[in-house]
Amino acid sequence: MLVDYLERGVLAGAIAGIAYGAYMALVANPLIGYMETVADSAESSEHAHGAGEHAHEAGEHAHAAGEHAHAVSEATTAAVSVGSGVLWGILLGGVFALAFYFLEPALPGRGRVKTYVLAGAGFLTVSVAPWLVLPPTTPGAEQAFDPTLRIGIYVGMMAIGGLVAAASIYGYGRVSARSRPLGIAAVAIPIITLVAVTAIAAPTIVEPGTMPVDLVTAFRGLTALSQAALWALVAGCFGWLQSRASPRSAADQRDELLTSP
Amino acid sequence: MTTTETVHDRIGTAHDDLTTGQLVAVFAFAAALAFTLLFLQEPLAHDSMHNFRHAAGVICH
Repeated sequence: MLVDYLERGVLAGAIAGIAYGAYMALVANPLIGYMETVADSAESSEHAHGAGEHAHEAGEHAHAAGEHAHAVSEATTAAVSVGSGVLWGILLGGVFALAFYFLEPALPGRGRVKTYVLAGAGFLTVSVAPWLVLPPTTPGAEQAFDPTLRIGIYVGMMAIGGLVAAASIYGYGRVSARSRPLGIAAVAIPIITLVAVTAIAAPTIVEPGTMPVDLVTAFRGLTALSQAALWALVAGCFGWLQSRASPRSAADQRDELLTSP
Repeated sequence: MTTTETVHDRIGTAHDDLTTGQLVAVFAFAAALAFTLLFLQEPLAHDSMHNFRHAAGVICH
């Protein structure tokens, strides 16, 4: 049964991943290409003016990052990025299915609502919580700390995001039977606490640099929306495959397994 | 009934269906995939996924 779930999850992830790969090819690749040019031109003008020690350092950093990015051709980067988008969908789908198999009895809601609850929890864990400290990086951005520490922070925030999602779901399960508004409050409190604490306590690690603020906002909004859409698509396809594959509940199958010799 | 089934039951069902070794293999494989896709720092692979990493918000260069 676990394997059935995994199979459906990987298939749902592949469908969502192909959609996300198309988004990478049609939207993200051209957009990031454009933003690289913006970052590069800003950097060269900074070099021309030599505006102070800090700006010079920033320019060098961006320059290094630019050179680093061109270690492979742009066509290769575009193609591999599209492929990575597809793989990303498959990975999320597989992990989603494994988590759903074990957590299905503990999730609130009925039937397919459960898949969307888990997808929301996954989005919070994998993306939203880390982004509160490490927002999506635009090309040419300056970042504090070295990559290893930032990976550590990212993984740590994923763990915290997972705990917050679990606390929300647990809280909802405890109080929603008594009153629905209370249930909604139980969901909201851990999430609001997380947002408030990171807004107050987290250091600013990512500085967008010379990129126009509107462009940075648009890019981050697009990133958040596309990831949310990816999760929704994984959950939607998984629920559809699940209902198509077996109208019987998992519990029935287990009962059957126990009663048959 | 679905309402009486618990997470513990699910772990039990998984044990009925698969051996511990198979379960460990499934999870190890998923973890390895995640690690490779997200945190691989080998320059060629890292740079090839450059746009994807920006777009997914998992960049760390």
